[in-house]
Amino acid sequence: MRLGAKNKFQPRIPTASMADIAFLLIIFFMLTITYEVDKTQLALPKTDIRLEIPKKAAYVSIEANGVLRVSNGEETSVLVPGVEDVLSFAATIVATDPIKAFVIKADTDTPYRHVDQVLDALKRAKVEIIYLLSDQQLVDTATGG
Amino acid sequence: MKLERERPTDEIPTSSMADIAFLLIIYFMITSSFTATRGLDFAPPKDDDNPPVIEKEDSVYIEILPNGDLLVDQRAMLLEDLIDYLKPKLERNPEKPVIIRPEPSAPYGRMVDVMDELRQGKEKGGLKEEIRISLPTQREIDSLWF
Repeated sequence: MRLGAKNKFQPRIPTASMADIAFLLIIFFMLTITYEVDKTQLALPKTDIRLEIPKKAAYVSIEANGVLRVSNGEETSVLVPGVEDVLSFAATIVATDPIKAFVIKADTDTPYRHVDQVLDALKRAKVEIIYLLSDQQLVDTATGG
Repeated sequence: MKLERERPTDEIPTSSMADIAFLLIIYFMITSSFTATRGLDFAPPKDDDNPPVIEKEDSVYIEILPNGDLLVDQRAMLLEDLIDYLKPKLERNPEKPVIIRPEPSAPYGRMVDVMDELRQGKEKGGLKEEIRISLPTQREIDSLWF
């Protein structure tokens, strides 16, 4: 009896499951993704208390020299010439969504008068909740503070 | 010579699917921001036909000077001593409002430091209630007190 020819093993790396893993990762990223609507690079103040800001919150960014940008939370932020434009922008948003959260993203060295004007505009527009965007306060291990 | 016919394989080629998937992953990784956006919340007072008029004397008044120094009820104070100063006052009257008033040229970051410190009154100072923080704007101050 003639034995069958030797089975030839084809060396293969199974890659079918790699796509499954990759798609799982994609689903994870899609669920957790938050696009930055305001990409202004600022040195944010540091705080211990940091509450999560709702997604789609509207942004008002204030640079140290008082330059203002606004975003409705869905579109990229745009430059506005003055604080009156912040007021009209906020009033328009509040008219459609009265409980919309607003975020003030200001540089830590910004003179307070610029922030005061923006706060005043948001109050006048009857914004109900305002977040002051901050970074995590780092614990100074050397001093224990 | 007998030619062998090449048999078509019945496999769906999936090797490129992983490539596409990983490209998508790279896209999401680049465009997303991992750190959740966080900050201090602050609720402006709601509209009231008869808003309670708060006198400066009935409250604790924190001024922030242009160099970042603090004047609490007209006395210079360090940020670390703020809760200790407020504790006996707020134990007597937990409703006592604490007004933060930064000078126009004071750095915004200093106001956030003060607000952050006050918000931790319960943890740091063992206060029973949250401190009532008020951050009036210049327009409100002008219309209320002057």
